[in-house]
Amino acid sequence: MVFSSILFIFYFLTALLLLYFVTPKKYRNIVLLLFSLIFYFLGEPKYVIYLILSCVINYYLSIIIAKKNKSSKLFLIIGLIYNIGMLVYFKYTTFILTNIHNLFNLDIPIIHIALPIGISFYTFQALSYLIDVYNHKHKPASNIIEFSCYLTLFPQLVAGPIVRFTDIKEDLKKSSTTLEDFAKGIKIFIIGLAKKVLLANVLGELILKLTTQTIISSWLKPICYTLQIYFDFSGYSDMAIGLGLMLGYHFLANFNYPLIANSITDFWRRWHISLSSWFRDYVYIPLGGNRVNTLKWLRNILIVWLLTGLWHGANWNFVLWGLYFGILLIIEKLFLAKYLTKFHILNHLYTLIIVIISFLIFSTDNISTIFIELKNMFFLNNIPFIDKSTIFYLKDYLILIIIAIICATPILSKLYTKLQNTKIAPILNIIEPLTLILVFILSIAFLIDASFNPFLYFRF
Amino acid sequence: MKNKFLIISFLLIIYGLTLIAIIMPDKKISYTEKRYLKEFPEFKLDSAYSATLESYLLDQFPFRDTFRSIKAYYNYNLLFKEENNDVILYQDGIYKTLYPTNYKSLNNYIDYLSKISANFTSNNHIYLALIPDKNYYITKKNFLQLNYEDIYQEVMSLPFKNIDLRNTLNLESYYLTDTHWRQEKLLDTASVIATSMGNTPITINHTYNKYPSFKGVYYQEAAINSPKDTLIYLTDIYTQNAKVEYLENPKLTKVYNEDKLTSFDPYEVFLDGASAYIEIENPLSQNSKELVIFRDSFGSSIIPLLIPYYQKITVIDNRYIGSKSFLNLITFTNQDILFLNSTLLVNESFTLKK
Repeated sequence: MVFSSILFIFYFLTALLLLYFVTPKKYRNIVLLLFSLIFYFLGEPKYVIYLILSCVINYYLSIIIAKKNKSSKLFLIIGLIYNIGMLVYFKYTTFILTNIHNLFNLDIPIIHIALPIGISFYTFQALSYLIDVYNHKHKPASNIIEFSCYLTLFPQLVAGPIVRFTDIKEDLKKSSTTLEDFAKGIKIFIIGLAKKVLLANVLGELILKLTTQTIISSWLKPICYTLQIYFDFSGYSDMAIGLGLMLGYHFLANFNYPLIANSITDFWRRWHISLSSWFRDYVYIPLGGNRVNTLKWLRNILIVWLLTGLWHGANWNFVLWGLYFGILLIIEKLFLAKYLTKFHILNHLYTLIIVIISFLIFSTDNISTIFIELKNMFFLNNIPFIDKSTIFYLKDYLILIIIAIICATPILSKLYTKLQNTKIAPILNIIEPLTLILVFILSIAFLIDASFNPFLYFRF
Repeated sequence: MKNKFLIISFLLIIYGLTLIAIIMPDKKISYTEKRYLKEFPEFKLDSAYSATLESYLLDQFPFRDTFRSIKAYYNYNLLFKEENNDVILYQDGIYKTLYPTNYKSLNNYIDYLSKISANFTSNNHIYLALIPDKNYYITKKNFLQLNYEDIYQEVMSLPFKNIDLRNTLNLESYYLTDTHWRQEKLLDTASVIATSMGNTPITINHTYNKYPSFKGVYYQEAAINSPKDTLIYLTDIYTQNAKVEYLENPKLTKVYNEDKLTSFDPYEVFLDGASAYIEIENPLSQNSKELVIFRDSFGSSIIPLLIPYYQKITVIDNRYIGSKSFLNLITFTNQDILFLNSTLLVNESFTLKK
């Protein structure tokens, strides 16, 4: 089940809100856990057992780890092996077997294992939980319901953000929200829904329509894909954050206008923040971070980015994508950093081009196609500059592209903040909720008119 | 205050619409969408169940048409898009983008016709009249169309006598809200076809039967208030006296099935709509000529106008009947044979049965 569906908004959410708020606070976690399992069950019935098993195993492991005795480390290792092992089994078995088969020409059967939805997200949550308990950053959850509620919390279960236990441990105990948080939650949810339905899906529609090969369409497709994946993923994160707030949970922001970044380093501080900070805290720093000699530091960066690439998918284009960023970050840190601060417009342009090319790699699972597309973009293939079809679709989607570009920057947010300090603030207080409701109705209209609506990040 | 307004409005929308959806009985048919709506799916333990359930909920959602209109208005009037779900509004009419040209399909069509023609005798006179879809007549700058030049060039290269209909038609020859052409605008076209096949023109007095408020197949897809068409079907002494045999509907013996005027698709009034094989006998014929027409849905409305010229017309729709089957029903001797297909079919020819 996805958030941007009739089933979720009009049946799941309505039933959950009703039951959650009529239930006494001390039982609300049970309601939330049940609804989270139903949410997962409706998307992936057979793997709900594995999810429950993960809750039980990780909870009891954390109790043993927290006892601070000699066996703590052993049980931490068992926990890491179990979680990473499951992730590797479900996500990478086919990839590994295929590559062994191709590399050594061995006649081994290639098995295809269905990937449990959201496994990359909740596995990372379980890992951070066990490591944090071992490092005494927090105590284990008070009971298995509280822990299961944390691990399966439906807003962030299938597509993040990757929430740390420390971030919501107080919320898990309070199980209540305020009127202000509830309204803020609705606002963020509606914005997220609109990002997904009104922008990401429509940009995706445009990409599918750009079927002819021209220089302009070769640029337009990865530009639109970059915007699409940004609105798709940040839209989902917003909906998760909004739903969390409605229920009294405060998740950290997962995006901070990444497309206005002035360097690749800055981009990764703003894009999928919960994943970058996870790799920083649980891989990069334990490896020594930058407090080692240069060679080891470079190794650490490459390991983190190889893993980041692989986390996104079991395919070579994701490996290439991760290493592409790793190498660029090294170049940036060693040579470019001092120049990037001097050229204020060029640094944004440089970052955007790098990011756009990265999403071309990200979206193309065939390595040779990536190079063909790159050649098309940089005038290295003999293709027309523009054609009738590209003109038509560029013109037809122009306003939407402009709106998408504006929404990818903080212009509207800054304008809103400025206007709030002027005389028109009272009018703004009427316009804002009205606009949100109109946007919500428009999003429902788009949902009803569409027939196919998958989230891009569900495959990770 | 603004928080309260937002919370109340949001909850009113989600609970209000859910309540209406639960209370209102499920609809079985959508006449505006011309299809059966999904029924509540039986529970199945698989990951596709929620998608099936979602399809049902989408079909039964309250004010479905209103929501679809909101989206259409937003696209056309706020984003100034020319297309909404590939539907284009041009002048007063509704059109659908047909692009790009499917060359595989074009080649398949050519092969298909060549294979069928291998069954004809040397005494058969073979004609081909390709019907341009209505987008052919749109002169708007940068409008995406099929490559009609290539399509006509390829199709006309077949060794049949070509009847070019393009100059007999214009944009007004087609319905505003439907893909098809208007029968009442086809008198010249029918005459050109008949005379090109060696027939002498016949003057006929027609009665114009009107069905107002005709909503064509594009009407609902457009999801906006667009002008409705009037469907007119022409009757005359030939259509009234013709004896018609429908392979799939033996009870029907008339050229026009008026019952279809109130069905999903009133255009099916012409020759009962989608029919694989029809035989039309003309007892008033002054000759013994026979015509075999391989047609698509465009043929339904023009064939009644060709009845006066032949003693018998056999109508075959290859989308519903393969060559093995129709060869059991017909023997080719010295009939006139007419391939009468639209460019729409040429671009989607894999629907033709082998």
